[in-house]
Amino acid sequence: MAEVVLDEVQKSYGRVTAVQDFSLSIGDREFVVLVGPSGCGKSTTLRMIAGLEDIGAGTISIGGRVVNELQPKDRDIAMVFQNYALYQHMSVRDNLAFGLRNRRVPEPQIDAAIAQAARILSIEPLLDRRPRQLSGGQQQRVALGRCIVRNPQVFLFDEPLSNLDAQLRAQMRLELKELRQRVPTTSVFVTHDQVEAMTLGDRIVVMKDGLVQQVGTPLALYRRPANRFVAGFIGSPAMNFMDGRLTMEDDRLIMTGDGFSLSLPPTILGDAAPTGQHALCMGIRPQHLRLGGPSGPGQLGLGGTLMVTEQLGDEQIVAIRVGDKDVRIAGVDPDLRLAPGTGLEVSAGVENLHFFDADTGERLRATT
Amino acid sequence: MSVPTAVSAERHAAGFFEALAPGGRRVLFGLAAVAICLLFAFPVFWLVLTSLRPGFAVYYVHRGTDFTLDNFHDVLAQEIVLKALFNSFMIATLATLLSLAVTATSGYMLSRFKGPIPNTWFSLIYVFRCVPYVSWVLPLYFVTRQLGIFDTYWGLLLPHVAVHICFFSWIMKGFFDGIDPSMEYAAMIDGCSRWGAFWRVAMPAAIPGLTALAILCWLYTWNEFLFALILTSHETPIITVVMAQFVHELGMEWHLMSATAVLALGPALIVTLFGQKYVIRGLKV
Repeated sequence: MAEVVLDEVQKSYGRVTAVQDFSLSIGDREFVVLVGPSGCGKSTTLRMIAGLEDIGAGTISIGGRVVNELQPKDRDIAMVFQNYALYQHMSVRDNLAFGLRNRRVPEPQIDAAIAQAARILSIEPLLDRRPRQLSGGQQQRVALGRCIVRNPQVFLFDEPLSNLDAQLRAQMRLELKELRQRVPTTSVFVTHDQVEAMTLGDRIVVMKDGLVQQVGTPLALYRRPANRFVAGFIGSPAMNFMDGRLTMEDDRLIMTGDGFSLSLPPTILGDAAPTGQHALCMGIRPQHLRLGGPSGPGQLGLGGTLMVTEQLGDEQIVAIRVGDKDVRIAGVDPDLRLAPGTGLEVSAGVENLHFFDADTGERLRATT
Repeated sequence: MSVPTAVSAERHAAGFFEALAPGGRRVLFGLAAVAICLLFAFPVFWLVLTSLRPGFAVYYVHRGTDFTLDNFHDVLAQEIVLKALFNSFMIATLATLLSLAVTATSGYMLSRFKGPIPNTWFSLIYVFRCVPYVSWVLPLYFVTRQLGIFDTYWGLLLPHVAVHICFFSWIMKGFFDGIDPSMEYAAMIDGCSRWGAFWRVAMPAAIPGLTALAILCWLYTWNEFLFALILTSHETPIITVVMAQFVHELGMEWHLMSATAVLALGPALIVTLFGQKYVIRGLKV
């Protein structure tokens, strides 16, 4: 068993708090992704698990053993770094063998482990080369190999794909998924790329300013973001947000904002329905909007002026201006010719709307 | 009025270089490079020429055709010159080894660690660098006398190492700044202690820089005169001081001094020729 448990972990640098009250239990063989913008504390958390940073407060345990005071070498972990961190003065073979030789593993076993890792990662022809003779993708494979040969309890990944170009990154994502199936090991993966987080993680931890914003499966985060930050961070293109005020008129809720007025079912916010005038923020994913007016009950319409279109080949992403906000619509027919300045009506099902408190950013309605 | 004139002069100058064909520009730069090289090489050439002239002809080096190797024979017959060459070689080599051992760790600490100890060390080095070199000499004379190491290897080695630490720790810090610390983190996860990561991963990566520094240290100590003059005497003669002693109360033996200088030039030249590619590669790190 190699559970990783973080219990109220904190880390400060002087007066700056990098990580605050981080608690998480990572199951055996689970793949957890820490995601967030630069400076949110995700890498610091990973480095605390690795033992490369002292833990300010709280405890971290790996496989049931508290590791706060253990050296990195004694934690039985392996780590892949953003810039590969291969030993430049050693051959690929020696890079792979380094950790095993340090642990005084007999040479025949080392050779067998290297052969197996090289086969899994298809790096057999590279074993006698030096790291600087390899491409970025090959170097990253060697870095993965260095982890695999050790057969550690936990893999730690610190933005391992961010130095690769877009095409190679997509390929390496797939290879990482395959690797997970072949070598199932508890893993913590840090990235700022939400696509990597969504595609790789069993669970995702979204962080901001040292605080955990939400922990959940990729689908849960996509469908039920806990706050406006998570809603904007997860999903591509990013969710559209529209600020407005909510009033109750007769038996309808009316949301009025800059350039729009929507009539909403009174039950849409459930128990969280505000009384009187209430400022809030409505979110709609670009994928949930479609061109054209409401086609029936349960649909809402918005009018705006076409600003720009982005042609992606299989779809267009269209941006319309509503009031002072740009609203993006994804999944538009790529053959549809649209001229900038044209008035357009778009609609969405009420079940796809998200509402957030204007002040706190917290979610106001549970959308299924 | 003056501004348009200046602008036009600048344009004219720029136009002169632009008007030259690329080949012409290369020739111009080549000629400039040759002129600069000659400027530096001429004194060495004159020195070699003087060392090959008999004593009576050294003031007319450019005239006459008398050339001899007797000067080298006479110089090498003097025990003090051989001893001085040996001492200089030993002190330059030992000072280089000791300095590298300290500057490598000192530079690594300055590059990788933050806190009061590295900050204090950094400040100390900075202060010592600011002190004029010559003002160290007299205190060092008294200190070496007091410690009983005047006119010994240690009496000369320790001041040299101290100077090297102050000057080269900064350069070494720069080398380590250029080495990705992730490699050391990977080594620590792979089973090394912090010291092990330094020794087995950071140090091999710093070899070009270390080689450059070793060469600079060696040449600096080999050529150094002031410390050697004040801190040594008959027991530990040093080649730079022995060379100067051909100027004495009975006159100036330029031919012997030149021959000794050419002998002293030899090892320095070999080290420079051997090491120049490492120095350039190291300083580029």
